Amino acid sequence: MTDLEYLKLSKPAKLIFRIHQFFKNLPGMAWNGLKGLGLAIARLFGGLGKSVADLVTTFKDGDWKTRLSYLIMGFGSAARGQWGRGLLFFLFQTVFNVYMFMPNAAFSGCYYLGKLSTLGTVETYKEGRRTVYGDNSFFILLYGVLTIFFILAFIYTWRLNVKQNRISEQILKSGHRLKSTRDDVKSLADEQFHKTLLALPTLGVLIFTALPILFMILVAFTNFDSTHQPPGKLFTWVGWDNFHTLLSTDTASYGNTFSQVLLWTLIWAFFATFLNYFLGMLVAIMINKKGIKLKKMWRTILVMTIAIPQFVSLLYVSKMFAADGLINGALMRWGWISSPLPFWTDPHWARVTIIVINVWIGIPYLMLIATGILMNIPADLYESARIDGANAFQMYQKITLPYMLFVTGPYLLTSFTGNINNFNVIFLLSGGKPLSLELSGNAGYTDLLITWLYKMTVNDTNYKLAAVMGILVFVVTAVINLIVYNMIPSVKNEEDFQ
Amino acid sequence: MSKKQIPEVDIVVDEKAGVIREVKQATRSKSGHERRVNTSIYIILVIMSIIWLAPFVFLVFQSFRSYKLESGGMVDYLLPKNGWSLDNYRFLFEGSNFFPWWGTTLLIAALCAAVLTLATVMIKRLGSENRHMKTLLTVLALVVGYGLFIALMVRLLGLAVSAEIAGKLVLSALLLLIAGYIVARFYLKQDSRLLRSIPGYEKEKTSDVVKKVIALFAEFAVIFAILACILKPMTASQYLNWYGNTLTVALFTAVIQTVIVLSVSYALSRLRFRGRKLIMNVVLVLGMFPGFLTMITLYFLLKQLGLTQSGAIPGMILIYCASSGMGYYISKGFFDTIPKSLDESARIDGATRFQVFLKIIMPLAKPIVIYTILMAFMAPWGDYVFASYIAFGSEPNFNVAVGLYRWVNVNDYQGYFTRFCAGGVLVALPITALFLALQKYYVEGVTGGAVKG
Amino acid sequence: MKKVLAMVLAAVMLLSVASFAAAEEGFSGEIKIWVAENTVDFTSQQVEAFKAAHPEYANMTVKIEPVGEGDAASNMITDVEAGADIFSFAQDQLARLVAAGALETVEENNAEAVKAENDAGSVAAVTLGDTMYAYPMTSDNGYFLYYDKSVVSDPSTLEGILADLEAAGKNFYFEINSGWYQTAFFFGYGCELTFDTDDEGNLVKMNASYASDNGVAALKAIIKLTQSPAFVNGSSVSNATNLGAIVDGTWDAGAAKDAFGENYAAAKLPTVDGVQLGGFGGFKMLGVKPQIDDAKLAACDALAAYLTSEEVQIARYNAVGWGPSNLNAQKNEAVQADEALAALGAQLAFCAPQGQYPGDYWSLATALGDDVIAGKYNDADDAALLEVLKNFEATCESYLNK
Repeated sequence: MTDLEYLKLSKPAKLIFRIHQFFKNLPGMAWNGLKGLGLAIARLFGGLGKSVADLVTTFKDGDWKTRLSYLIMGFGSAARGQWGRGLLFFLFQTVFNVYMFMPNAAFSGCYYLGKLSTLGTVETYKEGRRTVYGDNSFFILLYGVLTIFFILAFIYTWRLNVKQNRISEQILKSGHRLKSTRDDVKSLADEQFHKTLLALPTLGVLIFTALPILFMILVAFTNFDSTHQPPGKLFTWVGWDNFHTLLSTDTASYGNTFSQVLLWTLIWAFFATFLNYFLGMLVAIMINKKGIKLKKMWRTILVMTIAIPQFVSLLYVSKMFAADGLINGALMRWGWISSPLPFWTDPHWARVTIIVINVWIGIPYLMLIATGILMNIPADLYESARIDGANAFQMYQKITLPYMLFVTGPYLLTSFTGNINNFNVIFLLSGGKPLSLELSGNAGYTDLLITWLYKMTVNDTNYKLAAVMGILVFVVTAVINLIVYNMIPSVKNEEDFQ
Repeated sequence: MSKKQIPEVDIVVDEKAGVIREVKQATRSKSGHERRVNTSIYIILVIMSIIWLAPFVFLVFQSFRSYKLESGGMVDYLLPKNGWSLDNYRFLFEGSNFFPWWGTTLLIAALCAAVLTLATVMIKRLGSENRHMKTLLTVLALVVGYGLFIALMVRLLGLAVSAEIAGKLVLSALLLLIAGYIVARFYLKQDSRLLRSIPGYEKEKTSDVVKKVIALFAEFAVIFAILACILKPMTASQYLNWYGNTLTVALFTAVIQTVIVLSVSYALSRLRFRGRKLIMNVVLVLGMFPGFLTMITLYFLLKQLGLTQSGAIPGMILIYCASSGMGYYISKGFFDTIPKSLDESARIDGATRFQVFLKIIMPLAKPIVIYTILMAFMAPWGDYVFASYIAFGSEPNFNVAVGLYRWVNVNDYQGYFTRFCAGGVLVALPITALFLALQKYYVEGVTGGAVKG
Repeated sequence: MKKVLAMVLAAVMLLSVASFAAAEEGFSGEIKIWVAENTVDFTSQQVEAFKAAHPEYANMTVKIEPVGEGDAASNMITDVEAGADIFSFAQDQLARLVAAGALETVEENNAEAVKAENDAGSVAAVTLGDTMYAYPMTSDNGYFLYYDKSVVSDPSTLEGILADLEAAGKNFYFEINSGWYQTAFFFGYGCELTFDTDDEGNLVKMNASYASDNGVAALKAIIKLTQSPAFVNGSSVSNATNLGAIVDGTWDAGAAKDAFGENYAAAKLPTVDGVQLGGFGGFKMLGVKPQIDDAKLAACDALAAYLTSEEVQIARYNAVGWGPSNLNAQKNEAVQADEALAALGAQLAFCAPQGQYPGDYWSLATALGDDVIAGKYNDADDAALLEVLKNFEATCESYLNK
């Protein structure tokens, strides 16, 4: 189809065409992706090979200071007058050695590495009446991963050390002066400022986010649950068993439940995002309209649901809608109904109620964003449209909506993925209930993947399945992000102002 | 924007009378239509406001139903039948020597704020041009003021300084130093030459008196909050414990998290270095994993450091702040909008990147700083999951969300619903006030950062 | 590896010698206790009395923290090490706690005494296979009927009760979606659902007869109950509105007395269609955590045994109204005169002692209850109900530890 024919299509037809194109291109994209991945891996190995070659040449060509630095990190820098760097390198090496080969063999890095493949073999036993704890599989896994991190960091630092030696040698050979320690410290505020800024946060993220996530990914391949609980019991590697349990559809497995929960999660995220989006925009337009007074007051009233902490408002509202709560009580007293409305006990009612209450929470946020953006639309566009005879709805469709979508496209995506993981609203309102015999594993009709994950972690202490679920949530989020990112550029090119 | 409706003039070439009639009719029907639309919008807005505010009004009403005279549990009617009472609120403060404690704290806080203000005003009057000297003198005044109030506290309250309290004092000294330094700079601020030399730059105009009052109030609030955290009593009612815990965590988090987020977003926005793209991609990928996945690992990590159960408060602060660097997105969007020409002209004048960050960018970034502080402050108040997991079993170390949730949903607490309402009201009031006062910055942060692709 | 093992063994031997020596001298470290909030004061008084009576433990520090029974069990399972040394829990958590390694066996001498002094139901509740894992404390964890005398004229039939309540516009509270209360119908109609355990707390065999005519009849009776306008799902007096009658336990006796005032009355559960409702008899107990120090373990054993002895059980009844499990204590006058306990006693005649159930059973039963409340089976015929119960049984069977 040529460009001209494309432009002649109607809006829905354009959309259908684009979707069609997307799926047609999908295998091509996948193949490109694989090729890219393969290239990246090849480059990685190439890079590795080059690094090793570099190391060898540096050793051959370097002077005695460089060669000694291979053994004692920082020697070369220190010997050439850069005390600060030398000291830091040496300190790092010492810490690493102490950790790995600690005299108290029970807690050294080597100990944990050694046990990593079996995750502990010494069981807990009783001596008379008292308990003697054996291996602790949890700590073996945790410190084993930490040790591997540490080893990688050490290798990286060692390589850095060697490279610095080579660069220093070359600088000296060409007659320039090396940077002294004072220069180094000063440069922390200038060229190296990014290191100063990022050092602590990176460390924090590494230890408190990256390490735990990696740990839990590994737990997904073990059988760590309530019957294999350290320190009393050991757990060990089981490979892909947990994935089978969660995804297969035998009676004893959770496959059916998983697909149902996943479906509801996606439906919920869709409604939570787009319903709030359009309603919020509508409210913003209404309040923003010429001739409406007390704009600030309306906005402030609506913003209250953001201001008041969610755990107060949502807990209270969930009790309000209970079978013997305020709303049912009032309705029954006024004689409108004879038995309480099943807001939280009927699955469909519960789902609708949650979506509606989420509108209550979410509209103000969208309204604020929409107001900010709407103010940026030049008013002459509207004026000229009105002169051309457009009515309000047409103006909305042709001017406001495309502009909003263009500006908030990425925001919608983040909002969608955020709603997939929107724990608070579901947990505080319904706790994931009502349960049903059709859903196994303690999952309920209003459970998202993430609230199910929480129940598994806290109530059932079934960490292995929780870890698998976490990985699957990641996969779902990543897939959605990829798909939408690939579709957005085409949207962006289209929506210019006519 | 003019309020009057400008009538559309519809010129019809016809008899004179006919023309006028046509025009009049056009305007009347046009404004009539407008008015109908506006009225219906008003009606919709009023209904919406009622729906939006209704649950909170009900919450307040139900908090006045005494749990002793009537049922304290959930009921299906709204207004108390046995009269309005403050029983629930009294319960929240039960067991603490409430009045002497708060009174003394207020007094000491006021005294110290006065001392600090006097000191900074005097230093400003000194007229010393040396920036470093001024700052040093201010910090000295801070230390003296802090020492003063510790001495007063020990004397007046007969407080025994145990190891725990000593630790808290040191931590609060740190916080006070940071806060005091910021306030002092506010007083001593002279817009730098670099900033003033940029064409088009205008200094923000606020009257001096208002400035001083705001600064004084800020000092007072900070000192008071610190004291409240230190002197938090171990009471029969756990509510004050929870409140103090959450306030402590929120204050520390607000400061530390802001520093971290601003550093990271500035680095990723303005500085170019190898590994920048890598960091952004890694953070993106890590952010796709659900946060609760890591709960058990974090619990055991903190346990190794002794920061669970009775050490839960520092543990919570550590958790919130350590990974806060991942939330740089909005701040980065804001920094991206500041023109790079400012940086370049400053660097040409010989400033280091650090000086550019502190002197040029920070003053311009006031909205996003306040936004980040606000978000960081509000988050710990509503955190149920992590707080309940880290502090399980140790009731005095819960935070407000965990405590109130248990009052509603755990079977051991029957009939605590009205007390939950009262507790919720007391939590909601300061947070709402803070949010409404800083609403402008919140909106700027949300619209500025969230939607810039 | 070998060197590590040798060092560990050496350390163990040294420690055992040391602890053996220490055992003679009592214990002076810290013990943490978790009990329900309303018994914290009572427990601390009793601990003082214990320390006075046993001078070798006089230097112990005992920390008592208010952690409810449900929370105690889940907290212990999450992190045994950070948990309390002695904690109270209800017997449905026993198997889970043992499987997680959170319970130490009862010392042999104490076990003999416990078996002799406490009623059979409570002894069975603390035993897995042949091993006793906890000290029984109360026998009053069952449920019966509280009702408003002025509204309900005759509490012996469910139909009569519902008719009275519907006429007066009051509510009947019964927690259908709890696996605990649900069994009132099923067990009353003659169905069985029990699990056999081995010594380690593993569930090895299921005995179930829910998928039968009796089961279908019971399920139909439940469905009929939920269709009454007076029915509300719940079991807590304080959270009840318009209360006419409620199926609840002794822990709510005080709240029920407040709610009903002069019209407070208690009785055994009614009959449905002539069939007497049954249920569970429940028990609460004190458990001791596995310890690495012999002296501490001895101290915990002694303290736990003391806190569940006859005198303390009677004192506990006087303080908070908990029905004792000790046979002599049950013959105490004050205990005999208690209305709620009398109703419970009458009901217990129709109850089975609650054995061990897999953790997942409770959510499965909640799921069944939620489905009934949602009206899913309102129009189902007998064959469909039988299918539901068959699936229920099959899922229960899948919970056995393989």
